[in-house]
Amino acid sequence: MWFYEKKLQYPAKVGRANVKMAKYLITQYGGPDGELAASLRYLTQRYHMPTPQAKGILTDIGTEELAHLEIIATLVYKLMDRASIEEIKQADLGGYYADHDKAVYYVNGSGVPWTAAYIQSKGDPVADLHEDMAAEEKARATYEWLINLSDDPDLNDTLKFLREREIVHFQRFGETLQIVQEHLDAKKYY
Amino acid sequence: MFTPNDQMRLARAYVPFQIFSQRLNPMEGLMKGTIFPELYFPYRRHHK
Repeated sequence: MWFYEKKLQYPAKVGRANVKMAKYLITQYGGPDGELAASLRYLTQRYHMPTPQAKGILTDIGTEELAHLEIIATLVYKLMDRASIEEIKQADLGGYYADHDKAVYYVNGSGVPWTAAYIQSKGDPVADLHEDMAAEEKARATYEWLINLSDDPDLNDTLKFLREREIVHFQRFGETLQIVQEHLDAKKYY
Repeated sequence: MFTPNDQMRLARAYVPFQIFSQRLNPMEGLMKGTIFPELYFPYRRHHK
């Protein structure tokens, strides 16, 4: 069960509307290394984790990723705000507009819809934790490429916050991997 | 090169455990994305 805090985890400011940047940033909403994929991956893998600590960390981080999803949605919405049809066409978002107007939808940067095929739930806790660590590194790299694409200091401030969280999550998954491996080793010899 | 200790075995990934030492104040921690200074690795743009 969840409790909802009626504010964002971190402020989501943009300096100005920027349709092109919205198009790039939306990949962290519905792309392969985005926040939706991260959240749903951790929240479903938690059931087969062998220790309470591992279940707990996947629940905690999966929940925090939902908070990040909300920040990305807010940023995309603000970047698209008051965009004219002409600006939408210039950013090559006419195809998106035809399907969704300026609604925030789960797609990657090229408009491909989110798919569960982006994530895995293998049932092997060691394999799944390695995927989770890789996911954090891929999301960190995505934030770096997005910062390179953006010249908006307000937007970059929020992207830097989200990038740092990926590093912290990698550390927690790494510690969890160690706990899980020790637990599985101990089981082999009673 | 990192020297493995005798507790480690091959074909396994290891991330060192974080040992609690110091903590930033809550506002600075929020602005940086972590309250642990030893986990703060800000990005420096290199491809321009």
